[in-house]
Amino acid sequence: MADDIIEGILEALRLMFTFDPELWSVIGTSFRVSLTSTFLAALVALPIGSYIGLREFRGKKILTNLINTFMGFPPVVMGLIIYLLLSHNGPFGALGLLYSTTAMIIAQFLLAVPIIMGTAKAAIESVEPALKETILSLGANERQLWWELIKHSKKSIIAGFLVAFGQAISEVGAVMIVGGNIRWETRTFTTSIVLQTRMGEFGMAIALGVILISIAFIVNYGMTRLQSRVD
Amino acid sequence: MSTRKSLKLILSEHKTVIILAFIIIAGGSIGTYFVIDYLNAQNPEKITLATTTSTYDSGLLDFLLPKFTEQTGIQIKVLSVGTGTAIQYGKDGNVDVILVHSRSREDDFVNASLGNDGIPYGIHRACVMYNDFIIVGHSSNPANLLPGDNITTVMTKLRDAMDTSNMTFYSRGDDSGTHSKEKELWAEIGIVAATRWSGLDNTYAETGQGMAATLLMTYEDVNPAHEGYTLVDRGTWLSFNDTYTSLNILAESVVGEDFLLNPYGVIPVNPVLYPHVKYLSTCRFIGFLTSPYGQELINTYKKNNAVLFHANFGSCNSSIRCGTTVAEIAIWTPFQSEFIGLTV
Repeated sequence: MADDIIEGILEALRLMFTFDPELWSVIGTSFRVSLTSTFLAALVALPIGSYIGLREFRGKKILTNLINTFMGFPPVVMGLIIYLLLSHNGPFGALGLLYSTTAMIIAQFLLAVPIIMGTAKAAIESVEPALKETILSLGANERQLWWELIKHSKKSIIAGFLVAFGQAISEVGAVMIVGGNIRWETRTFTTSIVLQTRMGEFGMAIALGVILISIAFIVNYGMTRLQSRVD
Repeated sequence: MSTRKSLKLILSEHKTVIILAFIIIAGGSIGTYFVIDYLNAQNPEKITLATTTSTYDSGLLDFLLPKFTEQTGIQIKVLSVGTGTAIQYGKDGNVDVILVHSRSREDDFVNASLGNDGIPYGIHRACVMYNDFIIVGHSSNPANLLPGDNITTVMTKLRDAMDTSNMTFYSRGDDSGTHSKEKELWAEIGIVAATRWSGLDNTYAETGQGMAATLLMTYEDVNPAHEGYTLVDRGTWLSFNDTYTSLNILAESVVGEDFLLNPYGVIPVNPVLYPHVKYLSTCRFIGFLTSPYGQELINTYKKNNAVLFHANFGSCNSSIRCGTTVAEIAIWTPFQSEFIGLTV
């Protein structure tokens, strides 16, 4: 097995530097799907999550519980639900979107929304009350307060984006069910690793794993640098 | 620093514009995917095939399909799942054509009385190719399977060994074609394995996973004495036999017996039941598979220097449990004409 790992790392380097078209198709699909879904989820979840964190209202406890539950929603179950909705006999079957990138983006979007919403809400809530009072005493209205608090807690919010992106790019169950692991179209890192393992191509599977981990590392490093610069 | 500040200034002055642009870009990107995927779904020259892991994982389809696309311009999206799942996808109308290996369930798929309101899910099944199943195990061979044992003897020996010793039989347990075949083999000696050994640890283990994973579990084996057996199709076996070196073929088809043969059939989803399926492109694909050109391609495909599948359209008969009728041959002959004259 040690041989397999070394062979896999060499294979990873070879594939990267020979610009293997299949590898780049897999990288492209993974990033397109994960980035689009995380980005869209952030667009929806950040305003809502931070607003929930800012305000006190009836039913907030239940809503919080609900968000927390959905933060840990099992991805395969999400895959199954989207499958049933997009299946030809399902309510949106006529669109023919099953086994497409759109289907994968929808599934990952719905998985990412509660994560970003939950972290944004927690980030705003953890701001010291003294800061809120100071901002208000300087004559800020509620909208300005909201914006200031988001700016103040951007570190935790960016961390929330990262968690959501990390979950999206390393998720396998939902994208396998709704994407179908179709070559050149809906094959991602994770579904490709499953396939290569099944085919006995351990070298290629390890190569993909190594590349996935390296990319995750680079993205995280870049984001950390960005975070420290924003201050 | 001054350029930076001015950038910040621009940002704050045009906040609304920038936010709007952001939303338009995001909406545009998802919209583009949506439109492209929607158009692809409507494109008659893009069909979806649900097939078994054995045909895809062996590399056969990656070898065949580009040659078909080159000839016709039709692209095929492949979903590589188990036979049970592939048939379910076909029944739901989510794919255009299925390529599977479980004759009894294929017959049910095209049977009108088992269809939807008397309309069968699939029509015009065609035989494409076959390979065979083998039983592999460790050399300790506690069931003492001998070369030349016929299938009844093999299954009886396995049953007795499972009743009396610690050996484990690994079953796919996933409703796949291989799992169906294994249940048929137990049925030959009047046994339902899942109930006979239910509740007994490590006697009859249903892995619920693919062939490769099941083979790996047989190789690793829960029993330290390494005495596991499993049923595997020869294609998958040939892909792994140099990895799992301590496993050997302990039973295979003997001359004159057809129990272990494994015929593959291709079936279009019924366009009467599901008008959205791309029936014409599907027919051209089946014309390709069953044409002399397609059949020769199947026969030339090798992995680890071994032929994995044997083409058998039109030549199959009851001796390999895959009868093709004259009527079926007549249906596919016109679709084969565009591939006549092509050579491998």
